[in-house]
Amino acid sequence: MKSYILKNRKLSIISKIYLIIIWILLSQTINNDVIVPSIKSTFISMIELIKDPGFLNIISSTILRTLLGFLISLFLAIILGILSSISKIVHNLMQPILKFLNSVPTIAIIVLALIWLNNEIVPIFVGFLMVFPVLYETVLQSILNIDKNIIQMAYLYRVNKIEIIKNIYIPNIFYNLSTIFNSALGINLKMVIAGEVLAQPKYSIGSKIQLERMYLNTSGVFAWIIIILFISAMFDYMVKALRYLFGINKWK
Amino acid sequence: MKYGVKNINKSYKDLKILDNISIDFEEYKTTCILGESGVGKTTLLNIIAGITDKDTGDIIGFGDEVSSFVFQEDRLIEWKNVKDNISFVLQKKIKKIEIENLIDKYLKLVNLEEYKYFYPKDLSGGMRQRISILRAFIYPSRILIMDEPFKSLDINNKQIVIELFKKLKTVEKKTCILVTHDVEEAITLGDKIVILSNKPTRVNVIIDNSSILDENDENKSKLKKVIEGKMIRNI
Repeated sequence: MKSYILKNRKLSIISKIYLIIIWILLSQTINNDVIVPSIKSTFISMIELIKDPGFLNIISSTILRTLLGFLISLFLAIILGILSSISKIVHNLMQPILKFLNSVPTIAIIVLALIWLNNEIVPIFVGFLMVFPVLYETVLQSILNIDKNIIQMAYLYRVNKIEIIKNIYIPNIFYNLSTIFNSALGINLKMVIAGEVLAQPKYSIGSKIQLERMYLNTSGVFAWIIIILFISAMFDYMVKALRYLFGINKWK
Repeated sequence: MKYGVKNINKSYKDLKILDNISIDFEEYKTTCILGESGVGKTTLLNIIAGITDKDTGDIIGFGDEVSSFVFQEDRLIEWKNVKDNISFVLQKKIKKIEIENLIDKYLKLVNLEEYKYFYPKDLSGGMRQRISILRAFIYPSRILIMDEPFKSLDINNKQIVIELFKKLKTVEKKTCILVTHDVEEAITLGDKIVILSNKPTRVNVIIDNSSILDENDENKSKLKKVIEGKMIRNI
């Protein structure tokens, strides 16, 4: 098991080195910082961005929007997922909404959101559009696909309903959610930044990326991408810490 | 306390599954219900447990009684360790402080105390079924209903789990109903063996096995041949 984990880590490091080598080769071959900036110019841009007095404000605003949007999606997914599992009416009411969200191009809804909503809210809404259906389906399936034998065992042993919900349904929902937290948070971060590029809220990574693009400062865009990768890695560690905190790694 | 079923009938659409089944379950004894796979043994057990409705007939004595159960699968909760799996069914029935003492006592009795904090994924199939049986014995009930609990075990594990059952049976007095298709299991564990006939299922023969339980292997194998003969004639 340990060697398997080590092998994975080795592969992960090799793939990162491989990407950096491609980057170096491309920037040296093209030799134009506007098309593919060098590592050096990207690094200088990153130092400039970090030194900017508004830097912390910018990244904390984007992180806050991402987490807020994610928590709203999670909260609504849990409530509506539970209600859908117990009420056919709610389940059937949710179906066309999900179908709509899954089939209508996201950009079309974003354009409408730009017209209707405040530019601070648009990025959160865009993240919600992508993440909510995934979280909702996970909650619903966790309830519907629960091991019926375990539920029957609990009923036969006359365990009361509240204890069954507390000890069987809720842990099962949270376990299944925890398996997709990483990808859902990642998608949410990407969509919030995309929303920021379009909505241009005052403090946001997306607005800054758009600004760098307008000045043709590609090294600045690359620097922001690296910062986003760091934020994404931070989310990964946060989810791992949560899994550890809830003891999921112990039994799975 | 008298437990039993009387004139139980059950059909699924036009197919008659159980035909006038009557069995008395003697208190603190083990009654084995023996029959080929698919004759409706589990249906009968489910009717006794109240999971399935009967068409006609009477269930005697089980109404207000709480029962313990051992199933074909161990039915342990994956995210709970051994201690929490057992205490899950005990809460609200036994005081919280007593639960842990009780679990410790029983785990020690069957030499499984080192597994107290193990999660099901870390236990073998046999070990998981031992915990399931332990859970059933610790649960405060007078009846234990078992549906082919040794079916999925290999021969070594089966022997270990059977020994555990016998040991717990001497400590905790329960009226046991064991459903099985395995003649040897029935002879080893049953004070009474009820042989069911095939389609529609009727009680074919009832054998009092209590005098043979402690006898030598020769007598047991003679009885095995007799039972197997009766079961073959039923098919």
